[in-house]
Amino acid sequence: MGIQEQYRSEAAALLSSGEVKLVIGFGAGSTADRRRPLFARTPEEAEKFVLDAACIANLSTYLVAEGLLSDGKKVGVFLKPDGIRSVNILISEAQLKPEQVVILGYAIENGKDVVPLEGCNISDFSIGEKIRSHTPPTHVIEAAEKIEAMSAEERFEFWKEEFAKCIKCYACRQVCPMCYCRRCIVDVNQPQWVSTSSHTLGNFEWNLVRAFHLAGRCAACGACDRACPVNIPLRLVNYRMGKEVRSAFDYVAGENSDQKPVLASFKQDDPETFIL
Amino acid sequence: MAKIGVFVCHCGENIASKVDTGNLVKALSDHPGVEICNEYKYFCSDPGQETVKRAIRENNLTGVVVAACSPRMHETTFRKACAEAGLNPYMLELANIREQCSWVHSDKDQATEKAIEITRSLVEKVKRNNELKPISVPVTRRALVIGGGIAGIQAALDIAGAGREVILVEREPSIGGHMSQLSETFPTLDCSQCILTPRMVEAIQHPNIKVLTYSEVEEVDGYIGNFKVKVRKKARYVDIDKCTGCGDCIQKCPVKKIPSEFECGLGNRTAIYTPFAQAVPNKPVIDKNRCTYFKNGKCKICQKTCQIENCIDFEMQDTYEEYEVGAIVVATGFQIQDTSVYGEYGYGKYKDVITGLSFERLASASGPTAGKILRPSDGKEPETVVFIQCAGSRDPSKGVKYCSKICCMYTAKHAMLYAHKHHGSNSKIFYMDIRAAGKGYDEFTRRAIEEDEAEYLRGRVSKVFEENGKLIVRGVDTLLGKPVEVAADMVVLATAIVPQPDAKEFAKRIGIGYDEYGFYNEAHLKLRPVETATAGIYLCGACQSPKDIPDSVAQASAAAAKVLGLFSREQLEREPVVAAVGESTCAGCWGCVYACPYNAIEQKEIRDRNGNLIKEVASVNPGLCQGCGTCVTFCRSNSIDLAGFTEKQIFAEVMAL
Ligand SMILES: Cc1cc2nc3c(=O)[nH]c(=O)nc-3n(C[C@H](O)[C@H](O)[C@H](O)COP(=O)(O)OP(=O)(O)OC[C@H]3O[C@@H](n4cnc5c(N)ncnc54)[C@H](O)[C@@H]3O)c2cc1C
Ligand code: SF4
Ligand code: SF4
Ligand code: SF4
Ligand code: SF4
Repeated sequence: MGIQEQYRSEAAALLSSGEVKLVIGFGAGSTADRRRPLFARTPEEAEKFVLDAACIANLSTYLVAEGLLSDGKKVGVFLKPDGIRSVNILISEAQLKPEQVVILGYAIENGKDVVPLEGCNISDFSIGEKIRSHTPPTHVIEAAEKIEAMSAEERFEFWKEEFAKCIKCYACRQVCPMCYCRRCIVDVNQPQWVSTSSHTLGNFEWNLVRAFHLAGRCAACGACDRACPVNIPLRLVNYRMGKEVRSAFDYVAGENSDQKPVLASFKQDDPETFIL
Repeated sequence: MAKIGVFVCHCGENIASKVDTGNLVKALSDHPGVEICNEYKYFCSDPGQETVKRAIRENNLTGVVVAACSPRMHETTFRKACAEAGLNPYMLELANIREQCSWVHSDKDQATEKAIEITRSLVEKVKRNNELKPISVPVTRRALVIGGGIAGIQAALDIAGAGREVILVEREPSIGGHMSQLSETFPTLDCSQCILTPRMVEAIQHPNIKVLTYSEVEEVDGYIGNFKVKVRKKARYVDIDKCTGCGDCIQKCPVKKIPSEFECGLGNRTAIYTPFAQAVPNKPVIDKNRCTYFKNGKCKICQKTCQIENCIDFEMQDTYEEYEVGAIVVATGFQIQDTSVYGEYGYGKYKDVITGLSFERLASASGPTAGKILRPSDGKEPETVVFIQCAGSRDPSKGVKYCSKICCMYTAKHAMLYAHKHHGSNSKIFYMDIRAAGKGYDEFTRRAIEEDEAEYLRGRVSKVFEENGKLIVRGVDTLLGKPVEVAADMVVLATAIVPQPDAKEFAKRIGIGYDEYGFYNEAHLKLRPVETATAGIYLCGACQSPKDIPDSVAQASAAAAKVLGLFSREQLEREPVVAAVGESTCAGCWGCVYACPYNAIEQKEIRDRNGNLIKEVASVNPGLCQGCGTCVTFCRSNSIDLAGFTEKQIFAEVMAL
């Protein structure tokens, strides 16, 4: 039995036993190489799940939909390691209760082979190299290194051009599991810290605020990158911030669910380089 | 409609020499919402304040900006003036055009321009100020004193003597600190134990003092007037309430050869022991790491010897107690530097190279040699003793940069004690300077030289080595400009006074500042020497800097006076500058809960009418909030605002620039 069939029947079993009220997975997409999220509430619907190397989206973002988990019932969800990391982050930020999430874990190896990940509760995944590995794909690192090698002026020009494209659609925010605030700071207009129009200043304000808000919290799933309709390489920003946090605090977001939010908490051996 | 009064102060020439105040007044008079704008030589003077008050009354001002010095200087002055004129004191802002402008600029035009901008931005802020009322909080009139050395004991006695309760926490099995180890004390040569023990006994018997020995402060929460502290009482394995202090157990303990910490290793103790004969409380403790029972499960001889049932209890565990206190006095004292960094002095290599503290034990009547100065190596009386001062102090390369302050004095004392106890004594003291400032101090060192024939050699020692059973001390006499070699029988090092090894970690735990070495920082070296920057926490004794007993005691009484001043009120008025959470937008991420340095944010449940949980949000306890603003900057959804510094105010201030 292939992994797709195996997970279809596992999902169906979860639903028919009543253990979960919903399983979030993938269904066929609009084209042959695209998958779209599928929300199965019955065992029959679970038969439509697709699981292959095209299932790259991070479905954890649906877990924080307003009201979904407030009845205390469980939800099943198909997750890759990055999705598992985001669930860890969401748990550590009190947005999810670990017991409410049943994970159907999988990993995509070499860009084509889909292999199952053992376990179903988030605690089953808290250790293990696959989950821990925070290295984004090589092309992301290469692109990031290219930008790091630039002079400050070149870098500024690069991002100015990229951010100039932003149309403030907030798709990046919408797709990101970490952007769960009910009211985002950009929507605050008393006072209006971040201007809404998509001119240079407003775009910089928005993209930098988002970068800071994700520092030490990004699961490196790349969803923002894929969602952006004008192809701004957003994950490079977040990758860089993650690297900073890692070198300063030896902290990788989402390694386990007991982590304390790195920028909000204080440890006695935190570096104090900012104190002159 | 806003009616703002702007008052531009010259501060004599301090401001007016660099800022064209006439232009400033002109610019501000035209600013929207400014009703009246004046300048004056000294607004902080009585007539100056009267002008402000009159302007408030006559123009029905809704807000006041005084363009003058830092709010740290005169905010209180002008708030009071506003209040007296019937305006809410929080409708005042100080535009700092002195420290932040005239004092730091030389170009008058540019400085004037900047002063205009600063003042304008404060006008925009004050337009959005809200009337605030001070928060009053009750004061818990009980003090915690940490450290039971002479400083802590003195502070505790003074506070208790004024009728307030004190919790005195000491981590060792007995109170007394270093003073209990001293033989006789400069500058009067009275016996240390004789003057200390009455204080120790008074402390433990005082009805207002609760002495917790062998205990550590684990956590400090809260703020001035309202601290919550958690104390860990370490398992002593002896119930001090039951124990009569008879000492039978100590007699019978088979492990007898443990080098005594109190005797600096010059004497031995047992595994169940009291650190010294006059210990308070005089109740033993079991050293778990040395006890045969704890090591291999067999022995319990002490328990069998003890006449009292269940007094010795091998199952005893650490226990925790919580106390509410209104003030904290930190008196955790010092340590002496580990002299082994000076390999060339042979400490640790030669038995007869000892520290000054060890010498105290040799000279002490209750010490291992019953007060005879005998060499540790062979128990013989030394004929020649060399004292090396500054063995660590004033030595940036190996030791510490600072002067340890007491070593000149105790070295002179040691030479005297040696002379008094041993006729024909021959003491030679290598020194850099003799620093003997203090009442009776210079006379004391002179006496050592003139009456007790201590020979002072000005210069450093380069090496101590053994030759033919003598310790050869090689150094220079810089006054003669010649190298010298002294053949000594014993060498005494005046080691540097350093902070407790855990001083920095402990400071972080209780929330006070420290210097590069780990000595605790006072709020102001000259004007607030016993307060820390954390309101309600005070300092005394050698934890702040090296100190002798007179200074430690004086500072302890000063700290007690501060505590009693605080305790003279039932309520404290607090600034109403506190944070509040917008519950509708809070996402309940608890980031602010972690971030708040004062643990002022709690989790709160929001329920509907039927009691169903809708969500959980953050909620600031205004009694605990110190208004630091950390949470405001942390909150991603921008759900927290700080009274007196609201986002609207700050935004308007920034946009006015
Ligand atoms: C060799 C030598 C000779 C001296 N001779 C003289 C002299 O002749 N005359 C004179 O005036 N001065 C003399 N002094 C100086 C004198 O010892 C000090 O001034 C005095 O001991 C300082 O008292 P204190 O209470 O500040 O510190 P300490 O005596 O060090 O007491 C501090 C106490 O706090 C306790 N403690 C530390 N940390 C904690 C914690 N975290 N929790 C709970 N308890 C804690 C310690 O166990 C200790 O009991 C001499 C010092 C030395 C080293
Ligand atoms: S910022 Fe982008 S890469 Fe990071 S967790 Fe959010 S969507 Fe994923
Ligand atoms: S998805 Fe792209 S275009 Fe849209 S707001 Fe984000 S960065 Fe801007
Ligand atoms: S940081 Fe903001 S969103 Fe998070 S709990 Fe605090 S107030 Fe709520
Ligand atoms: S302002 Fe915020 S972070 Fe600061 S003490 Fe108050 S609640 Fe805590």
